[in-house]
Amino acid sequence: MRIAVLARLLDAGEAQVLEALGLMASLGGEAQSLFLGAAAQSSLSAVGEARLGVHPGLDDPEPELAYAAALRLLGDEAPRLLLMPEGPLFEMIGARLGGHYGMGVVRDVDEVQVEGDGIVLRKGAYGGKANVRLRARGGVVAALRAGAFAAADPPAQTPSVVELGNLAEGGQERRTVRDTSGDDLGRAKVIVSGGRGLGSREGYEGLRPFAAMLGASLGASRAAVDEGWASPSQQVGITGRKVAPELYLAIGISGASQHLSGMSGSRLVIAVNRDEHAPIFEAADIGVVADWYQLWPQLQKALEG
Amino acid sequence: MRILCFLKAILDPEAPPGAIRFPGKVESGDVSTVLGPFEGNALELSVQVAEASSGAFVAVAMGDAAQDVTLRKALALGAERAVRVDAPLGFQDPLAVARRLRAAAEAAGGADLYVFGRQAGDWDMGVTAGLFAGLLDLPFVPLVQHAEVSGQSLRLRREIAGGYEESLRQTPLVVSVTNGPGTLMRLPKVKDVMLANRKPIDVLQPVATEPTLELQEIAQAQVTRQGRMITGDTAQQAAGLAAELRRFLVTGGGN
Ligand SMILES: Cc1cc2nc3c(=O)[nH]c(=O)nc-3n(C[C@H](O)[C@H](O)[C@H](O)COP(=O)(O)OP(=O)(O)OC[C@H]3O[C@@H](n4cnc5c(N)ncnc54)[C@H](O)[C@@H]3O)c2cc1C
Ligand SMILES: Nc1ncnc2c1ncn2[C@@H]1O[C@H](COP(=O)(O)O)[C@@H](O)[C@H]1O
Repeated sequence: MRIAVLARLLDAGEAQVLEALGLMASLGGEAQSLFLGAAAQSSLSAVGEARLGVHPGLDDPEPELAYAAALRLLGDEAPRLLLMPEGPLFEMIGARLGGHYGMGVVRDVDEVQVEGDGIVLRKGAYGGKANVRLRARGGVVAALRAGAFAAADPPAQTPSVVELGNLAEGGQERRTVRDTSGDDLGRAKVIVSGGRGLGSREGYEGLRPFAAMLGASLGASRAAVDEGWASPSQQVGITGRKVAPELYLAIGISGASQHLSGMSGSRLVIAVNRDEHAPIFEAADIGVVADWYQLWPQLQKALEG
Repeated sequence: MRILCFLKAILDPEAPPGAIRFPGKVESGDVSTVLGPFEGNALELSVQVAEASSGAFVAVAMGDAAQDVTLRKALALGAERAVRVDAPLGFQDPLAVARRLRAAAEAAGGADLYVFGRQAGDWDMGVTAGLFAGLLDLPFVPLVQHAEVSGQSLRLRREIAGGYEESLRQTPLVVSVTNGPGTLMRLPKVKDVMLANRKPIDVLQPVATEPTLELQEIAQAQVTRQGRMITGDTAQQAAGLAAELRRFLVTGGGN
């Protein structure tokens, strides 16, 4: 069975690429490491045959260029199992490659087994309330959940460099805006997240002095983003950031499973919610049933005192 | 522009914990079926682009009659037509779904813009839009937050890590839509909801296709922690929480 890892260097981060290589090495079969990059590199960590597709546009690719680059590197025949780190490259091209080659596509995969002539992949469903095993009869593209697989420590290899030649960009007047508000969520040791329960933009903004006292970054639930109080890059959850701080504080967040999926790796979880039946208390280490607006003035005093 | 908007109804994703159970299958009790939130975002974007381009959108859903709630919502928000591809619900291989939606799109005469939600909150696959684009060999822009019409082109804002990217894209095009400043679903007027209830829904038979992926197993996931509550009156709660936070800050979260 031919298995390949497809990754853009600089995309998901080296750790995630090593995890994908580790999984590929453990599955056996004919292995191929396919990388996309802006410039040739003399050596790379790789398993099996290593190829690096090179094009300057891969420094910061938009979807069309990334897709064209991947098609050129993969050629006419896709491997039976194409492993990609979950991340921006997969988001842009993973499923589209599946449609092109007629392969199944599964994201958020945290287990892969080869069983007879099938490939069995495990992933979450229903916002993380369930886990499913899907069996692929034909080819499959799998996006691997970060941290779910043991990283490989393969020797560095010299990849064969494939100059990808002319690749067209898909859009004109392209402009990238980095919105720094959610930038540090991935690295933050403490996160204070606010939800719809805060009631207003001012209420959400009112978390800032609290966050400052704790040296925390500000996160949000999807509802707070939908209300326009926080930016999409601050959203924590299954379709937002996956975070794992030392301390996660959820203020006025009900604890829908889709939110919990993004913060369940936190070491200590503290929740404040005025509804004692809110599901967030099932996922918290410490719970406070209180109205935030009554609690906060006294908490502030107690912390300053 | 002509727009095809693909919608899916799912079990209420905010049903309380335990209301949907997974003892080897999906047991949903009396949890209702609703339009998924990202499908709501897709619908909003379709309405906006149809209005701004003096065009029209057609809503397409594949599933059993439970899907009609989503199609009625689309009709209430101005869909020219609603089409349901009649197939049983349950786990469906997204590649097979995309193939059947492609057949439905062809039957509808194609479109300039194909609009999908980012992720349906039942199986959380998040891949159908990309698969569809790959099948039709059309450009694909994922995670669109905002769209502006400019002739036959669209200025699209898409979510990227830590921000967004804007660019001008030519149609035909496939997009998936996420939540953001431009895609919060509007509410239909009561009068339009009543009218929509009387409009017909066209039912199409699905084309034959072999699924690649099969559901082998489903099981309950555990997310609960053994927590404790800080009780008392508000002053006592504040003091208790402050003590916990101080302890955390002093030990640096180490213990
Ligand atoms: C496919 C899919 C993906 C999703 N992805 C995400 C995601 O990535 N992230 C995410 O967050 N959600 C996500 N969701 C949405 C999720 O299902 C919930 O709708 C959302 O998390 C609810 O946000 P919330 O808790 O802020 O709001 P609500 O559910 O409205 O909860 C507000 C809470 O605040 C409490 N409250 C009210 N007033 C006060 C007060 N004064 N003091 C204290 N507490 C108060 C209430 O008791 C309530 O529990 C997704 C859904 C789907 C279907
Ligand atoms: N059965 C279906 N009928 C219509 N559209 C669907 C169906 N399944 C998925 N979609 C579309 O594809 C998007 C992503 O779904 P998924 O890949 O299943 O998470 C949804 O938001 C819908 O826009």
